[in-house]
Amino acid sequence: MANTFTRLGTANTFDAARQTLQTRQSTLADLQAKLTEGKRVTRASDDPTSAAQAERAQTRIARITGEQRALEVQKSAIQLGESTLGDATALLQEFRDLLVQAGNGANSPTERETIAKQLVSLRDELVTLANRKDANGMPLFHGLGSTAAPFEVSADGTVPDPDYSFNGLPGQVGANDVAIPGTLDGRATWMDVPESNGVFKVGLGAGNRGQAYSDVGLVKDAALMGAQGTDFSVQFSVDATTGAASYTVTNNQPPATTAPALPYTPGQAITLGGLTVVVKGVPANGDTLELRPAAAADRPSVFGVLDRAIAGMFEPGSSTKGASSTSANFNHELAISLAQVDTSLERIGAVRGRAGDLLNRADRIHDTQEDRSVQAEGDRSRAEDMDMIQGLSDFQNQQTSYQVALQTYASIQKLSLFDFIR
Amino acid sequence: MSNILNVGVRALQANQAALSTAGHNIANSATVGYSRQVVKLATVEGQFTGGGFIGKGVEVAAVERVYDAYLTRQAALSKSVSAQDVARAEKLLQMEQLFGTGTTGLGAAVNEMLNAFSDVASAPTDLTARTVVLTRANETAKRFNDTATQLANLQRGLTEELENGIATVNTLVQGIAEVNRQIQSVQGLGQSPNDLLDRRDQLISEMNKYVQTTTLDNNDGTISVFVAQSQPVVLGTRALALKVASDPQEPTRSELRLVNGSAEVKLQDGMLGGGSLSGLMRFQNEDLAEAQNLLGRMAVSITTVVNDQHRLGLDLDGDPGADLFTPIQMADGVAFANNAGTAQIGLSVADASQLRATDYRVTFTATGYNVERLSDGSSAAVDAGPPPTVDGLALNFSGGAAAVGDSFLLRPYANAAASIQTLFASPRDLAVASPVQASMGTTNTGGLAVGKLAAGTLPVPANVVITFTSGTQYTRSDIPGSFTYSPGTPITHDGGTPPAWTLTLSGAPQPGDTLTVGAINPAYAPLDANNAKALLDLRDMQLFDGAPLSDGYAALIANVGVRAQSAEYAADVSKSIADGLEQQRAGVSGVNLDEEAAKLIQFQQAYQASAKMLQVAQSIFDALINTVTR
Repeated sequence: MANTFTRLGTANTFDAARQTLQTRQSTLADLQAKLTEGKRVTRASDDPTSAAQAERAQTRIARITGEQRALEVQKSAIQLGESTLGDATALLQEFRDLLVQAGNGANSPTERETIAKQLVSLRDELVTLANRKDANGMPLFHGLGSTAAPFEVSADGTVPDPDYSFNGLPGQVGANDVAIPGTLDGRATWMDVPESNGVFKVGLGAGNRGQAYSDVGLVKDAALMGAQGTDFSVQFSVDATTGAASYTVTNNQPPATTAPALPYTPGQAITLGGLTVVVKGVPANGDTLELRPAAAADRPSVFGVLDRAIAGMFEPGSSTKGASSTSANFNHELAISLAQVDTSLERIGAVRGRAGDLLNRADRIHDTQEDRSVQAEGDRSRAEDMDMIQGLSDFQNQQTSYQVALQTYASIQKLSLFDFIR
Repeated sequence: MSNILNVGVRALQANQAALSTAGHNIANSATVGYSRQVVKLATVEGQFTGGGFIGKGVEVAAVERVYDAYLTRQAALSKSVSAQDVARAEKLLQMEQLFGTGTTGLGAAVNEMLNAFSDVASAPTDLTARTVVLTRANETAKRFNDTATQLANLQRGLTEELENGIATVNTLVQGIAEVNRQIQSVQGLGQSPNDLLDRRDQLISEMNKYVQTTTLDNNDGTISVFVAQSQPVVLGTRALALKVASDPQEPTRSELRLVNGSAEVKLQDGMLGGGSLSGLMRFQNEDLAEAQNLLGRMAVSITTVVNDQHRLGLDLDGDPGADLFTPIQMADGVAFANNAGTAQIGLSVADASQLRATDYRVTFTATGYNVERLSDGSSAAVDAGPPPTVDGLALNFSGGAAAVGDSFLLRPYANAAASIQTLFASPRDLAVASPVQASMGTTNTGGLAVGKLAAGTLPVPANVVITFTSGTQYTRSDIPGSFTYSPGTPITHDGGTPPAWTLTLSGAPQPGDTLTVGAINPAYAPLDANNAKALLDLRDMQLFDGAPLSDGYAALIANVGVRAQSAEYAADVSKSIADGLEQQRAGVSGVNLDEEAAKLIQFQQAYQASAKMLQVAQSIFDALINTVTR
């Protein structure tokens, strides 16, 4: 048999050449499709790892978009909450100014009744502010959970008994790296205002007939207060003949001890253990002042503070007759109310500050999420998009090689010995 | 003189035969499977004379076909492997189209559905946001159904292709038997029937493209053909038939069988060796099954975890949530036809995070039973339970006892994706409120904040009060002892798996701060969205062999893509090997037109020379006659 190592079958070479043309053509068509779509990876089998990376990047981008949207909702809710607290601060300032005005000795009881009416409308406005909702129907001061109107007002608008309640769960939702809470803590904002100065409260004796009243008092010596407690009674006695007033201080902590009498002049400070109160006005004989520790259970809400201030405008026991300027009860209540309104203002200010912090945090989160989104988009693009310059150059190469294949097929397959046989 | 005449005539005849053989080759140069024929010339033995042996010319000894049995066999085998790879690659590329990427794919639908809960968490009473979630859930279910239907269509198309292929193979087998008979009948004539042999080789090569064959030469010139290593399909002149039947343990799948009289023998897939039918069978049993299992597992896992979390919530009317998707009903294990016992195996999901995308075979032995994973042949460990679980599936045995040797085929995921649907359309029924609430103490002074609160099981147990004794220690009212607090570490309710609730806190507490965790006040439930947040957290739950839920689909398309890519590469490689071997075979047996042209010239000249020889003989005769006539 002849040496077949270098031999070629004619039909086979035609077949092989045709197949090469087909292969080149299909590669060219595939590359064209990829260029049109602009993607290097159109099917998972082109590059499975890149396809999976692109899919994961897509998932991340969609998730970040959703989180950004939720962040916007949260941010606008907190902004509304913050501006609501701003309105509340303005309202409380107005309330305070009215109180100071009412305290002016030149006013008559009738004027105090008028002021009381203004105070009532301010209080009602404040309740509305506290129950305000955002655009989605969520109360702004929802805390960890609440009803639709967390601060209960009776159906007929009267003050509920007991004091206003927060129909919700105290507490705050935490912020994380993609979201901030969408609500503020209602209880921390509006409830649990410390009574008086927060440590102890001063009450006028029930049978007082004089005009002596005290301010809210302060703690002079905390260590002494710890030793001697905050349960005291002060009894005034007025000498029937000289009119000189004196007082005794009784420490009610068992065993009850009474200090010797001291002379009293209106406007002086009285020391009780580690505490001091400033007493003004002229007492009647037998008038008492009771100091008690401020109980946590007696902490009113902001609305309760306002209600107490409104009640103080009237004669004790009346809700229509204005108080007189010399009424001990009026002056005492006014002092307490002013102190409590100040505390409420601080409270609201603190929550407003926290709202501001949350908004700053929201801005930072927004920026970080934007960066993440850009990075994810970059990942996706790197994984599946075609580098146009590379793609076009590949296309040119393929086109050229296809042309070459066609030309060589045309020229070589023409050669045959039969052409040269006469 | 008569000698030279004879020599001339013989030479003419020989050259004529050579010329017509060359012409036959040229005519058949493009015929597929044709082996070129060469005339074998032999000298006629010389006549003994006193002066030496005088040659008597040339004669045609044989017309041989130039044929290398080894190369022909190799070429046929490589074509068979190439056909198998090409068939599998084509089908894989078709299947890959079903798992689209990007926003129209399954993964995007699942993620969009879960992402939509974030809008509900921002506005729990907004019915529009709830409706969006339900619409997306419905879309997800539909996409699962569609993909499952497409895969089922792929299976049906595959069965049809198998049937067509088997019909062609049967025709070829008949043809081979017929040619065998013809060759056998001319065997006794002493010369090789070249064209018949070529035709038989061509038929066998064609058949190899469908299913790889082994051949055995018989003494009488016939060839016996075997498929699947040992099943005879042509025995001498007798042909048997192949058929496609449905797998008795899995009626939607097909298997190939040899029909031998009244008995049918199944052709084992692993033994088929090559050919497009083998490629299709491999695709059906490995790639299509894997894709169906991956899809089904994804459907089962996602619907199970979403349903479980949804049932833990409260809807807008305060009622406990119902299932959002149809609960998956897994198909029971299919008993092997020859099982002696009467046991039955039912399946249910025990732990969605442990599920694996594979079929199982359960075989009973004398000491119990073994569970084998069919995707990779590994043995799966069975957790005794009760009930016994394997890879997150609970096996529920019922019926009677199983005998030793009984086996069952478990296909829990094959049809799971086809049947999932959303069960309700009313947005009020979407359970986004959590049945658990956390409430801080009213006298707290620290900066504690609630990060996450999720219920784990129902019903919610009695209130638990957590009291902080310092910035890093707390006590609780249900378990004695002091515990360490660190922000972000979950605090769980004691008892039960999973625990009744899990709480994550952030911020720094002050000593004396308290926190109460208990059942939610029904008045607060409409505005609560903690279950929506828990559903959002499902996106990060590790479900698919450790990958988080949101990335499960990416892993699926990567799996299918890798298979398709490697099948493509395999097809390229085996094609180039087949091409190379065919080129070699054609190098031996193929017709080269230039060579035939050269031979034509050669034998034409020889013919002319022989004719000249006759002319010379003629003139010698004339000279002789002229000499002796007067």
